[in-house]
Amino acid sequence: MESVLSIVDMHKMYAGGVHAVRGVSFDVKEGESVAIIGSSGSGKSTVLRCINRLIEPTEGEVMLRGEMINTPNADINDVRSRIGMVFQSFELFAHLRVIDNITLGLRHVRKMSRKEAQAEALEVLEKVDMLDRKDAFPGNLSGGQKQRVAIARALAMKPEVMLFDEPTSALDPELIGSVLKTIRGLADEGMTMIVVTHEIGFARDVADRVIYMDKGVVAESGESSIIDNPQTERLKKFLSSISEED
Amino acid sequence: MRETAISQTNSPFKHSISRYFAIVLLSILLVSVTANAQEYRSGWDVVNSGVTSDLFSVEGEGEEIWAFGENGIVLGSQNSGATWTQMESMGPSNLSMSDSGFGAFLAAGRDGTVIIKIDSGSQWEDISFDAGEEDIRGVSLNGNSSVVIVGSNGSIWKYDSGSWSDYSISGVDLLDVSFLDSERGIAVGEEGAILFSDDGGVTWDYRDAPSEASSSRIIDVEFYSDIRAYAITDMGEVMKSSREISTPVGFLWNMQYFESEGGSSNLGVNLTSIEVATTNKFLLSGTEGYLSMSKDGGNIVNRQMIPLDNLTAFNDIAMLDGFRGIAVGSNGSILITERAGEDEQVGFEVRDFSEFGNFVDYSKGMLIDGLFATLNIVLFGIFLGFFLGVTLSMMKTSPTTLKEVAQKRSLILVRLFGAVSFIVGFMFLDHLIPIIEGLGLNGWEYIYAPIGIINPGGITGDLQFENFAYLILGVSLLLLGGLFISANGKYKKSELEIFGRTVIWNPWGVRPLNFIATIYTDIFRNTPLIVQFLFIHFGVQIGALIGDPLAEMLDGSTGLITSFLRDDVLSNRACVSAIFALGLNSGAYQCETIRGAIAAIPSGQMEAGRSIGLNYMQTMRLVIMPQAIRICIPPMGNEMVNLVLNSSLAMVIGYSELTRKAKLINAVTFQVFWSYGMVLISYFIVTWTLALILRYLENKTRIPGLGISGGN
Repeated sequence: MESVLSIVDMHKMYAGGVHAVRGVSFDVKEGESVAIIGSSGSGKSTVLRCINRLIEPTEGEVMLRGEMINTPNADINDVRSRIGMVFQSFELFAHLRVIDNITLGLRHVRKMSRKEAQAEALEVLEKVDMLDRKDAFPGNLSGGQKQRVAIARALAMKPEVMLFDEPTSALDPELIGSVLKTIRGLADEGMTMIVVTHEIGFARDVADRVIYMDKGVVAESGESSIIDNPQTERLKKFLSSISEED
Repeated sequence: MRETAISQTNSPFKHSISRYFAIVLLSILLVSVTANAQEYRSGWDVVNSGVTSDLFSVEGEGEEIWAFGENGIVLGSQNSGATWTQMESMGPSNLSMSDSGFGAFLAAGRDGTVIIKIDSGSQWEDISFDAGEEDIRGVSLNGNSSVVIVGSNGSIWKYDSGSWSDYSISGVDLLDVSFLDSERGIAVGEEGAILFSDDGGVTWDYRDAPSEASSSRIIDVEFYSDIRAYAITDMGEVMKSSREISTPVGFLWNMQYFESEGGSSNLGVNLTSIEVATTNKFLLSGTEGYLSMSKDGGNIVNRQMIPLDNLTAFNDIAMLDGFRGIAVGSNGSILITERAGEDEQVGFEVRDFSEFGNFVDYSKGMLIDGLFATLNIVLFGIFLGFFLGVTLSMMKTSPTTLKEVAQKRSLILVRLFGAVSFIVGFMFLDHLIPIIEGLGLNGWEYIYAPIGIINPGGITGDLQFENFAYLILGVSLLLLGGLFISANGKYKKSELEIFGRTVIWNPWGVRPLNFIATIYTDIFRNTPLIVQFLFIHFGVQIGALIGDPLAEMLDGSTGLITSFLRDDVLSNRACVSAIFALGLNSGAYQCETIRGAIAAIPSGQMEAGRSIGLNYMQTMRLVIMPQAIRICIPPMGNEMVNLVLNSSLAMVIGYSELTRKAKLINAVTFQVFWSYGMVLISYFIVTWTLALILRYLENKTRIPGLGISGGN
């Protein structure tokens, strides 16, 4: 299968001197869903942000369909519009209604007319089951609803890869279900995605592949079965610490 | 149906009721008009001159007055102008100019005819000379029997102790001359020529006319005293020269702007002469029955009623003291006044300003005018300030560093650009060095160099803003060039050891747009607004720089908005200056307010905007700014209220806004508490309305869940 995204020897050194990512490499194939797990500070969010260059990686290469995207000459806005991103804290545009949140990118990046954009938006809203709240302001939505709108906003751009940055960590436990269901639905439809998550159960059920990061390096990776059957001490320890929390 | 029928039959009756009503109203109106009509009467009285020829010139000393006219007519009066007798003609020439002083009287014609009367006891003497081809245009006594005469082609003759000498200069056509004493005199002429002599008319130096009058025809000059001289042009302009600290009269000339003409410098009449009664009181005469007087140095010029028809061309005025005077004109017209020509009020009740109702009745009109003037500068100031504020705040928050600019280009290109900008910067500074050296500064005095290089010639020179741009660009390009040449492709910050301390030095982290905006806001936030007003109006003269050309562009357009812009905004220089001072100042403060609001937007919003592919400016415009503007409505309200209140400082540049009107009301009524109190109320109404509008806006634009604003 064709590799949609490949990361080669990525390093990120923050301005304060923190070496957050120390040589991470992995490929994501078409239609594959990859879960990145790991404890806080292991560099998993940094990897994700480096992929669409919200953070510039210090070294290494990021290729989208074989095209190097972390050079100063790449059209970064075009690259970003091809990579959907969902944030931990939703980051909906507070001054816009739900439907306008979604049409904003379509109208100003994809240059669609208002009518076309709205038709497109209604389609994705239906997909995430938020059609009935299309005229609400983000401030009046629950956390789960906000996150589903955020997913719809990213989906509307018809991205080639979706990046989820801990999409459920800011949600109450009873709201997580609806968001995970939406993401699972996308995975089933064959959307290529990388999910940074703390939901071990979700990673096991949905992800085709799991990457365990620790201290800025990939400590273990493989089929989702490694969660039930960890090969390294580090992952074992991580999994047991999580199950203790539960 | 029945009802309709009734109303139809009633309708004639209704009609007659309204007619009765109208008649009653009219009669009430008629009754309420007071019996004794209120009117103005001319302050001038007609005197019989006994001649019908045109009179050109008049002079008076004490009770003795002489008028001169067509065909050598000389009229004399020994009783302040009440009765006149005609002297024997001194020849066929028109006596078109005259002067008096040092006990003597003098008259002259354009062909070289000159007659003089040395003292009250003596007779008129003919001291004519041969002027050749030249056209005599101005005479002045500078001694009991000493005369200076000027004319075309720079001709200047002096008559002293019985003989004529020629002190002509070349080039310019002279039109008038006036001596203050035996030494100091001013001559004026075509093309804005002003000459000064301090040796009794032997040598003459050029002086600069105000730039507005640099090509005008200056027809009359009055060297009135040690502290004041006036001159007029035939286009209806008045210019004056005052002593300023150690600079004597005659050096600096300023155009007079007439508040009574809406701030224009042009009276819109053909003037013929000016007569100065006291330092700040002068009378003007003109064609088409024009006589006018100003009591405040030209700020307010009141046209006077005359007891003759408006075809009379007045040629000259002579004032015997501050109040008594004589005007002469065409067809032997002579007018005399005992009140400087001021119109007499007949049948007017004397207003009693000790009664509040009367006071309000008198002052409300002026206050409303002032209010509109204030609103005028405030509205334009707010627009300018907001535009600047948004632009500057975007510049201040721009994330692009030199590193990012350089990184995108190849190293060779970066170094090449560095070399070019280094050379260009060096050339700019090299151009400035002789100018700075020419300023003659020492040591710490160099902090004033920026002012010196913009205007090295002082009041007589032009403003050279390009020099300031050369300085800023030169220094910046030199530094930038040095940095770019030294680029090694790493763009890292470096650490310097200074006195044992590690200093982090990161020139690549400089954000150029932020840098420019910071210079701007620092300048405007660290200087007092009142000084900005004075500097922009009197120093930069932004009205002449920007207002006049723009007004010229709109010349002739008849649109409602364009003609308003031209007549009420752009052609009023004080108004343009006030708008710029308020707008530029407010822009600096609004910038900081908006920047604060931008900083309050979570960085995730920018990330979210960028992550769907919007570029930086799109995200700013579509995502960040709409939220930031909502957040900063309350502090912006503060800023706008401040702007309204600060607009009162426009009075220091003579813009007749609300506060200045209060001063003018005080000058008439002396009711200080009432006038300033009413101004306070007027300001309160404006700012409170503004605050209400902003409060409404705030509620209207509130987004649920965005910010803590109280309520839902």
